[in-house]
Amino acid sequence: MKSKLLAFLGSALLSGTAMAGGYQVNLASQRQIGMGHTGTGIQTGTSSIFFNPGALSYIRENGVTIGASAISSHIAYRGIEPTSVSAEADNDFGTPFQVYAAYKVDDMLTVGLGIYTPFGSGVKWGDQWSGRFALNQIDLQAIFFQPTVSYKIGDKLGLGVGFVVATGAVNLQRAVPVQNQDGTEGSIELDGSAKTGFGVNVGAFFQATEKLSIGIDYRSKIDLEVEEGDVIFSNIPAAARGSFPDGAQFSAQLPLPATLTLGVGYQVNDQLTLAADVSHVGWSEYESLRFNFDKPVAGSNFSESARNYEDAFIYRIGAEYQLNEKLALRGGAYYDQTPVQDGYLTPETPDADSRGLSAGIGYAITESFGVDASFLYINKKKRTDSAEASRSIAGTYKATAYIPGIALNYKF
Amino acid sequence: MKKFFYKSSVLALAAGVLLTSCDPEIDSPDPSSGTADFSSYLAVGNSLSAGYADGGLYREGQLSSVPAILADQFEEVGGGEFVQPLFSEAQANGTGYLRLVGFTPQGAPITQPVTTNLAIRGLTSRNTPLYTKFTGNINNLAIPGIRVADINTGGYSSAQGNPYFERLTDNATQTYLQYVQAQAQAANHTFFSLWMAENDVLSYATSGGAFSGGMLNSPAQIITPVNTFSQNYTELVNALTAGGKEGVLVTIPDVTAIPFFTTVGNSVKQLLAANKIPAVVALTGSGSSRIVITPAQIDAAEGGVFFPLTASAYAPLFGTRTGRYWRLLARQVSSSQDPVTVNATLAGILANYQIDTTQLFGLSAGNPLPSALVLDAAEQKNIKDATTAFNDIIKAQAAAKGLALWDAYSYFNSIKTGFVKNGVAYSPSFITGNLFSLDGVHLTPRGNAIAANEIINAINAKYGSNVPQVDETQFRAVLLP
Repeated sequence: MKSKLLAFLGSALLSGTAMAGGYQVNLASQRQIGMGHTGTGIQTGTSSIFFNPGALSYIRENGVTIGASAISSHIAYRGIEPTSVSAEADNDFGTPFQVYAAYKVDDMLTVGLGIYTPFGSGVKWGDQWSGRFALNQIDLQAIFFQPTVSYKIGDKLGLGVGFVVATGAVNLQRAVPVQNQDGTEGSIELDGSAKTGFGVNVGAFFQATEKLSIGIDYRSKIDLEVEEGDVIFSNIPAAARGSFPDGAQFSAQLPLPATLTLGVGYQVNDQLTLAADVSHVGWSEYESLRFNFDKPVAGSNFSESARNYEDAFIYRIGAEYQLNEKLALRGGAYYDQTPVQDGYLTPETPDADSRGLSAGIGYAITESFGVDASFLYINKKKRTDSAEASRSIAGTYKATAYIPGIALNYKF
Repeated sequence: MKKFFYKSSVLALAAGVLLTSCDPEIDSPDPSSGTADFSSYLAVGNSLSAGYADGGLYREGQLSSVPAILADQFEEVGGGEFVQPLFSEAQANGTGYLRLVGFTPQGAPITQPVTTNLAIRGLTSRNTPLYTKFTGNINNLAIPGIRVADINTGGYSSAQGNPYFERLTDNATQTYLQYVQAQAQAANHTFFSLWMAENDVLSYATSGGAFSGGMLNSPAQIITPVNTFSQNYTELVNALTAGGKEGVLVTIPDVTAIPFFTTVGNSVKQLLAANKIPAVVALTGSGSSRIVITPAQIDAAEGGVFFPLTASAYAPLFGTRTGRYWRLLARQVSSSQDPVTVNATLAGILANYQIDTTQLFGLSAGNPLPSALVLDAAEQKNIKDATTAFNDIIKAQAAAKGLALWDAYSYFNSIKTGFVKNGVAYSPSFITGNLFSLDGVHLTPRGNAIAANEIINAINAKYGSNVPQVDETQFRAVLLP
């Protein structure tokens, strides 16, 4: 009977497991956010360390940039009709940041260091909503450190390579469907830090004509691996404690997918720059989310659920208009395909095709000191999903995000 | 620099305004009553509608009864007040019920009866309890234990009848049908649910057919004759639909698929394997015929044998020389508890069933397992045939009167292997399945909510209404110690 109990609770646990999905965070530079996050086909200054290391060698001065965005995202949920069940995820302000420093060794060679946060997720549904047995809240963070070398071959071609050292952390909480005599539900928290992962960011930049430039950039896949993460149970009734043991640990692996970007830039005149990027994100690497446990949790040494993401494309356009010597105005837009197939939607990543609109300004306070501010609005399409394949929370999800950001840059 | 901070704070402020005003929204479906009128809802049924759970009727179960949940949802589409014969908070534990206090080393649940804050007001001449009265007009007319066969039985509302009915009326001669008619008139109902037919097969099933004839014949534990069922059910539907009232009918689930029958077999099988016992002997039906049961037959899909929850106490006695079951039975059916009378009753029973309690219990033809502890293939066939016949009558009534129908039979068959909803696994397994309460027969509050949502689907389909479903996760499943 008890082992049966365990097995069933196990399947309950399996049914809802997940960490995150379309969890890429494309907020790598305040100037570029203002331009729809284009930047692979143009010279973007120090942030070329991220967008295209090949273009980094084109900077004219040494520079340091420090910036951050404040994500305020909200997700509305409604159960499948005719239910009137609804919920809203009030998410924490996520704060992706970026630091870039570049140093011109000589005319040809530039070295740099980038620290940025290209992946992450923060969703907070709370412990009352109808999907709490799948997820209460999730917090996923990844930080990349990228020492970079860029070399200019003649005037037309720049090549660059960055070595990426990645680390991160994950925290996931949800309710466990066991109840005490007073009705209190159990809960589980998975908390762990990732091992250091390694990857590369290589790019080539080609100044085809005075006006036209082309760039290509490849950021490799990095697996974020958690070992000896903590499994913390709360409010588990004594009779079920054997199934939810104290002191269990988990390991898990989450792919941070490769991204290949092709970009073009066009300098219409001294004032106006146009840019367009197409990115291919190798999401199909994310086939399932599996937690391995060092002692049986709910009767099983692991918990696995299918994700089966599909590769996705992102299309971006952006423009910058240099109004005068001090002030630049920017605007952009993008369309970001969801990697989540029908039937696989989960509340950690209730993802849908999303549209982004951005605006930004750049202001040179002095010749060497400037500030960039951006504002990005993301509107994900309303999506209704049975969540059958992910065995997760069926319903209609709709998400929007408002992301203001600011950066300071200093040239020397 | 100052200017810059000023600018950014303005930006943040602007963003803040945007955030609060532009949160994403999903249009809610408009609730509607369609062609139905839910303003006055009347529920007619048995324990499943009364909110009976964990082997008793108590306030918490009543508050999360299927009709109570339905009435709450009907409120969204014009439903009015729904009065239930609730036990008071001071007597919240009502008749008493079972609480889970632990598991045996083998993993079998250990339950304990709750004996405080009961609503017992006295005892009958047979020493059975009578409950605190609730004789006002009500909307939930469900009576635990009632069969369709009982609705015209005189005296059913008396102390000698059904105590759950007795508490609802001071009129000891009123039949249940008359009571329903009187309450229907008082409520002037516009909508009703009728979910009642289970006990017309269930009492036979839970007693393994042991008392459906023969020496210990008990009229309450037979399968209702189809003619009686048809006549009574039609009368009941006629009474509820008089004046063109709308409502929903519910079919009988396959009662042999409930945890009451599907839980113990596996442990019996293990016991037989561990002791290398090739077969057991049991009585079948209400007579003295024996059958031989092989382990392969236990819980088998075809021609199988089920052991009810009541058998779990006797499984450890297999192979011992015991007459415990018969002693307890004699005490139960004896006209008095005087030892001499009880012993005389016992001797009569043993002679009738040709039992020799000095032989090995369950392993010998001389001391077979009692019929009430085994539901064999022949008995299951009787149940199946009756269930099919009764359900045909229910469906025909729904069609004839243009009523909504929740086919609980099909529904519970479809979830035999379990399902997942909102990240929780459900199945008809005991305790772990989350649907059935500790008596293995009745649903948990969560199970009630899931059943209510299915009934809402049936109502919406029939009446073109959009009654919203309830969030089942707000209702509890089995509480663990």
